[in-house]
Amino acid sequence: MFGNFPNFMYLFRTNGNWRYPGPVRALPGKASRQPPGPEPVSRDDAAADQRRRILEATADLVAEHGYQETTMEEIVRRAKVGYATFYKHFADREAAFLALLDAAIERTVGRVEAAYQREEGPWTDRVGAALGVLFEDVAAHPNPARAVLVEALTAGPEAAAKHEAALKRLAPLLRPGRELNPRQAELPETLEETLGGGVVWVLGQRLIGGEAGKLRGLLPETLEFVLRPYVGEDEAAREAGEVADAISA
Amino acid sequence: MPAEELGPLPAGRHGYSREQVAHHQRERLIAGLATAVAEKGYAAVTLADVTKVAQVSRRVFYANFESKEECFLAAFEVVVFHLRELVAEALEGIPDWPHRALATARAVLAFLASEPELARLCLVESRGAGPAVTVRFNAAVGEMEPLLRLGRAERDSDRPLPDSTEDSTIGSLVSLAYRKVAGGEATQLEDLLPDCAELVLLPYLGPAEAARLAREAA
Repeated sequence: MFGNFPNFMYLFRTNGNWRYPGPVRALPGKASRQPPGPEPVSRDDAAADQRRRILEATADLVAEHGYQETTMEEIVRRAKVGYATFYKHFADREAAFLALLDAAIERTVGRVEAAYQREEGPWTDRVGAALGVLFEDVAAHPNPARAVLVEALTAGPEAAAKHEAALKRLAPLLRPGRELNPRQAELPETLEETLGGGVVWVLGQRLIGGEAGKLRGLLPETLEFVLRPYVGEDEAAREAGEVADAISA
Repeated sequence: MPAEELGPLPAGRHGYSREQVAHHQRERLIAGLATAVAEKGYAAVTLADVTKVAQVSRRVFYANFESKEECFLAAFEVVVFHLRELVAEALEGIPDWPHRALATARAVLAFLASEPELARLCLVESRGAGPAVTVRFNAAVGEMEPLLRLGRAERDSDRPLPDSTEDSTIGSLVSLAYRKVAGGEATQLEDLLPDCAELVLLPYLGPAEAARLAREAA
């Protein structure tokens, strides 16, 4: 018992309250926690799975109650891991939340950038492809998306900085549109970040309203909003119409 | 609302009615919260901080508010109420929609620039102040929507604008202002006026006229 003392500290004191220590469950990696099937699970796989479960639980809980109201106790319970396992991966709740932001941003922004690069048509098509993937990804993973788009701004400066950095990575996809505008010298310097902010707002509002399923229908309108300052309303509406046709097809 | 300028109420007989004292205490608590939030950020503020700045007791706090969040909501409400009055004043005698939209943007930015702590409270701290505040914040910025929507009558084209145009525009404006305030430049919010003007007017008036009015607003 005393040899394990540091690991068991959490049982006695969480959130400043003394708690009755519950039964100690098997430690991670022990045979009892492995699935009984013929495939043996490696220690690395088990650790990756624990980490994934912790991030998923964090995303779900933060979407349900907000970051400030989410406790580590709830995270470990939802993720079905012990405190010791949690601490093996993350120093505290904030570290887990920041890791969740990193993972969600990397996945989504990576896919958006790839879709933009892959599309070989004109710039408006490339933006359409990129925005389409963004909407698709947000709809498929609403809670991690909500963490990045909405909750990151409520969780302290480091999380807010990650939100801003993600937004900044999208600006280079829009910037080439300036070349298409005859008045490009007059376009506001803040245009790309501002349009990005508008898109983030629209997505965030739908996620807060529990309407992730309706995002597809919103894609053409949002594309028109983003393209309009660069190519004018007619061209923006034409591109949006093509995307709307593709969705309904 | 600098609470520190308000000394404590004189003890004993002071000639104020019970209602006056209660009202005064509520105002002090709201101002106290705004000051405490400006100093430490909403998450770190305790009730003790608020009652200390406001120089009232904890009992008085609970007589007025159930929680820190409710007090924050009241502070937010005071700012929104004041902004509504300022905007109404700014719109007096302006007949045409484009200049009404500009006057609204100018009045809001000017007030927030003159009260950087309140700008921070409303635009930055409100994000971490709980779900009720988020709902209230979204409703408050949503008040811009009907005003923006009137711009649809100005359009040359018969083609209807997408329904979410105003929503996207509001999001862009909020993000523009948020970034300025979060970056510690709340006092320079008025610099955003031309960019805001262009953003707001573009869907309704087209690029040439939007740019002309944005320059005029600068």
